[in-house]
Amino acid sequence: MDSKRHGAVDEELLRDESVVALPPERESLNGHKPIVMDPGQFHAASEKILAAINKVIDGKAEAAKLALTVLLAQGHLLVEDVPGVGKTLLAKTLARTIDCKVSRIQFTPDLLPSDVTGVSIYNQSSRQFEFRMGAVFANIVIGDEINRASAKTQSALLECMEEHQVTVDGHSYQLAEPFMVVATQNPIEMEGTYPLPEAQRDRFMARISMGYPDKLSEIDMLETHQAVSPLAKVTPVVTSADVAAMIAAVRQVYVSQSVKEYTVALGRATRDSARLRLGASPRSLLQLLRAAKATAALDGRDFVLPDDVISVAESVLAHRIILDRKAASSGDTPQSIIRAILAALPVNQDAGAERRGG
Amino acid sequence: MSAAIAVAVLGASLSLNGVFRGWAWLVPAITTVCVIGLTMAVLRALRVHPSFATFGGLLAWVAILDFTFFRPESIAGFIPSGATLGALGQFLKRAGETVVSETAPVSPNAGIVFVACAGLGLVALLIDALAVPLGMPATSGLGLLVVLAFPATIKPQGGGLPGFLVAAVGFVLILGCSQWFAPDSRLQTDTPHGTGQFKRAVAIGGVALVVGLLLPLAVPGFERGTFPVGSRLNAWGVSNGLNPMITLGNSLRNPTGDGSITYATSSTAPVYLRSVTIDKFDGDTWAPDDRESSRRIGPGRMAPDYPLPSDQVRQLTVIDTGQFSSPYLPVPYAPTAVNGLSGRWSWDPATLSIRGEDSTTRNQQYTVYSSLPSVTSATLSQDNAKPTSISQDFIQLPSNVPDIVKNTAKAATAGANGNYAKAMAIQGYLRSSRFSYSLQAPVQGGYDGNGMSVLADFLQQKSGYCVHFASAMAVMARLEGIPSRIAVGYAPGHATGATVAVAGQEPLPEYQVDARDAHAWPELYFEGVGWIAFEPTPSRGVVPPYASEPVAPGGPSTNLHEENLAPGSSTPAPGAADVAPVAGPGAGPGTGTGSATVVYVSAAALLVALLAASPRLVRSGIRARRLRPARPAGGAGSAPPRDGPILAWAELQDLATDYGMPPGPSETPRDFAARLRNSAALGAPVAPGSPSGAADDAGQHAVASLTGDFERQRYGRPAGVTADTAAEQANAASERIRAVRAAFRRNASWFAAFRAEWLPPSLMSRWFQLMSLPFRWLGGVSAAAAHRAAASWRRLSGSISWRR
Repeated sequence: MDSKRHGAVDEELLRDESVVALPPERESLNGHKPIVMDPGQFHAASEKILAAINKVIDGKAEAAKLALTVLLAQGHLLVEDVPGVGKTLLAKTLARTIDCKVSRIQFTPDLLPSDVTGVSIYNQSSRQFEFRMGAVFANIVIGDEINRASAKTQSALLECMEEHQVTVDGHSYQLAEPFMVVATQNPIEMEGTYPLPEAQRDRFMARISMGYPDKLSEIDMLETHQAVSPLAKVTPVVTSADVAAMIAAVRQVYVSQSVKEYTVALGRATRDSARLRLGASPRSLLQLLRAAKATAALDGRDFVLPDDVISVAESVLAHRIILDRKAASSGDTPQSIIRAILAALPVNQDAGAERRGG
Repeated sequence: MSAAIAVAVLGASLSLNGVFRGWAWLVPAITTVCVIGLTMAVLRALRVHPSFATFGGLLAWVAILDFTFFRPESIAGFIPSGATLGALGQFLKRAGETVVSETAPVSPNAGIVFVACAGLGLVALLIDALAVPLGMPATSGLGLLVVLAFPATIKPQGGGLPGFLVAAVGFVLILGCSQWFAPDSRLQTDTPHGTGQFKRAVAIGGVALVVGLLLPLAVPGFERGTFPVGSRLNAWGVSNGLNPMITLGNSLRNPTGDGSITYATSSTAPVYLRSVTIDKFDGDTWAPDDRESSRRIGPGRMAPDYPLPSDQVRQLTVIDTGQFSSPYLPVPYAPTAVNGLSGRWSWDPATLSIRGEDSTTRNQQYTVYSSLPSVTSATLSQDNAKPTSISQDFIQLPSNVPDIVKNTAKAATAGANGNYAKAMAIQGYLRSSRFSYSLQAPVQGGYDGNGMSVLADFLQQKSGYCVHFASAMAVMARLEGIPSRIAVGYAPGHATGATVAVAGQEPLPEYQVDARDAHAWPELYFEGVGWIAFEPTPSRGVVPPYASEPVAPGGPSTNLHEENLAPGSSTPAPGAADVAPVAGPGAGPGTGTGSATVVYVSAAALLVALLAASPRLVRSGIRARRLRPARPAGGAGSAPPRDGPILAWAELQDLATDYGMPPGPSETPRDFAARLRNSAALGAPVAPGSPSGAADDAGQHAVASLTGDFERQRYGRPAGVTADTAAEQANAASERIRAVRAAFRRNASWFAAFRAEWLPPSLMSRWFQLMSLPFRWLGGVSAAAAHRAAASWRRLSGSISWRR
């Protein structure tokens, strides 16, 4: 009973946030007519994108799929790993496969917020301040080594990510749709980095870790990347309008009551866990569900399964939770704790209703 | 299949216990049936033509009978030869004798056991032939019925529950198995024959069995109906004529007492009606000797062939036999003339028994003039001479008189002088309290019937009924040199209160006797007096004045006060009819306790069987309910049609639980299905197109589609489902569940399959949870109490230390 009540409250939150995050008038922002995509077209498009990415990056199909998922769920992706495993390549490939505007920001300690968002410059000839758009005015923004920039610059980007708009000198400028930031980050221990605070990490829908490729993929990689950059051969396979339609289709994916309950129960379990200092926020649950919807759509379904939630839970939640000191010292990682929570969480939150059927 | 038939036939044959004495007959019977069943099973396993299998069974039948019974006469022990036929003839003759002369339980001599084994084997063959090649398994019940009906009509206690139960189980098995083993296509319609049908058959059969067994308990009066359980089928009336001695016990046990005879007599006391006498005491079974050579036709005027005293008491008796049917005419002793009979009748001068030559006693009204020598104990005691004027028939004894009879006779008559004194001593001995009257004891003790061995048993057990008392006295009298015979007929019965007007007489009081008054008593011959009846049976009939003990000289001693002790007897004397009104209802307890035991035992057995089967029944009930096609729209009470896939999913989960793979609570449907499909339970996941795993593949596909349906149903967008598609879905779901079950069963070990069928873990865990609920609650409460106690103790100790 108790959990039900809380669950309802959380859902309210979710719904409110989603209304805020996805104002309906956004859909035609770029002049795209919302194309209605049937599941077959959706599947074909997603297959094309993934095939194109996998041609470039060997052995990272999972990461590619998750990147696409985040794009379709209108989230932002944080790719975190040691240098040289293809973080930037993944982001670039994803951006190239889609026929849309891509910009890349190399974050450095001396990068200024106005470099990201844009700046108003006085135009001598027109004698007016003109707004010079920053790098963030693009469909896909690749933020390389985001943790090397100063906190101020990071914040500027993160505001854009959350609000999908830029405010300069009292003027607000809407960003293009679809809009996605793919940020890469070196591990926290690296020299000269400003690690993202948890509040900013929370803005990213998912964090993935590339990991080293396996042996065969690595051999392949040495082979293919020898002569010419494979990135050069990547041609866009879908238009941004297609992507917008795909996003619209993802939005149409149905989430049943039991999946919502399952998601909420998962969030509550992270908050109640003794091994976590900080559990999953309501926003993280919202993002989790959005990612799950995109996963379901990529799987060719128009409804979300608990499996979808489970499959993205680790990527979506792991960078938002903070381990208890004891747990951290005993060798637990956020991933392992989320796995443990998932393993102990009953899928049927309304077990009573299930039994009634028997 | 053959095993099922063997079980059924043997189960039915179990009820033959009690028809035979002991269990010695069972071994050859089991051998016969099993050999036949095995032969046919082997033949069928070799896939010979069905009719050839039956023929082989027939050969096996001949061979095994030959092997069991005619080994010395046969070639190589089991091939019949010419000598075998001779032995067969002997066996059949012996069996015929047994059938004619003995009463159940008969001694298991080779002849009758041979007939029984042959019959059982033939029944097994017949059932098999009906069930398998002819494809009519249901009719095979007829064969079982034959076996069951046989003891039911012959045994006093009926067929016996164990036999019936085992036979019924066997029958159900036959029905169930026939779906699998039917060799021709007649049974195999387009519906895939699977376990479902077997289950259904078992369930239906089980329910029918339970209803059949419980109905008699629930419906009052069944025990005492017109055809009570265990009473004998008397197709020819109350008693048939072959051997009244044999039917007597059954007549006495007949709880309804139908076939009553009414009579009116001028005698001052009610009279014994005598049908026939038995005077030959040799052979296994005593039977009346008709003396065909010396019989005379026409009982209009009868005179005995022995001298009679001059002073006779003449009586007139009018008798109406009603439905009573026997070749022997019941008349009061000693008849001098019988008038009014229809048909031809003959009488025997030696015994004065009257027999119909071409008619029976059915619906006869006749008048008997009888005369009885007026004797007193005084006149009788004068006679000490050795009887001379009587046929040696009445004094001869066979050589096989058991020692116990001789010793008992000697002991009983020690110190008695004279024939009368000896007779009185024997009667007194038998009437003493050492002997008890019981209709059941001889049956239970295995000495129901008559004959010398029965007599020995009776004297040992000291419990029996009139046949035993009468034959004991008759034999002992002969041992002491007194001519004797056993009279069989009816005790006086009771007055109806009505009177019958007879021409030239006062209105005569009317009496009625029925089957329960059937009686046997000894008649002893005293020189110069004639045949005198005695009454050695305690609590039955009327002791004649001359035979009364000297201590009670005042009139006839009727012993009626013991009447209520005698189960099944109801012979109140006319005067006592209204003083002892409880005599009628008193018939209940004796048979009542017996049948009550049977009832309890059967109820207990039923309960045990029901308990053992209940997990299975409940489980299949749940499954049937889940897979039931949704009713047409608007069907009240049924689950909403869109719950179909969810119910099917629940069934799949339970099914997996039954086969040892319970779904985890944190497992998504997809994971669970994946685990199922990758496990060995569904068979190895096979590459499409490989023929060997086609069946397993069906299970894999079924799981996949069940999962898909369930996911769509549970997590998908709610869609309007019409009743038609719902029914379609339900049908598809049950098909898939069946496929999954089949796959599970195929890949499970024997034990796992058995457990899944009979003790389904899905059900067991639920029951266990239910049963452990109180304990868990108790545990929770006690834990909370302990917690509270500990807390208060801490508080207490804390306050103490604070004070300190």
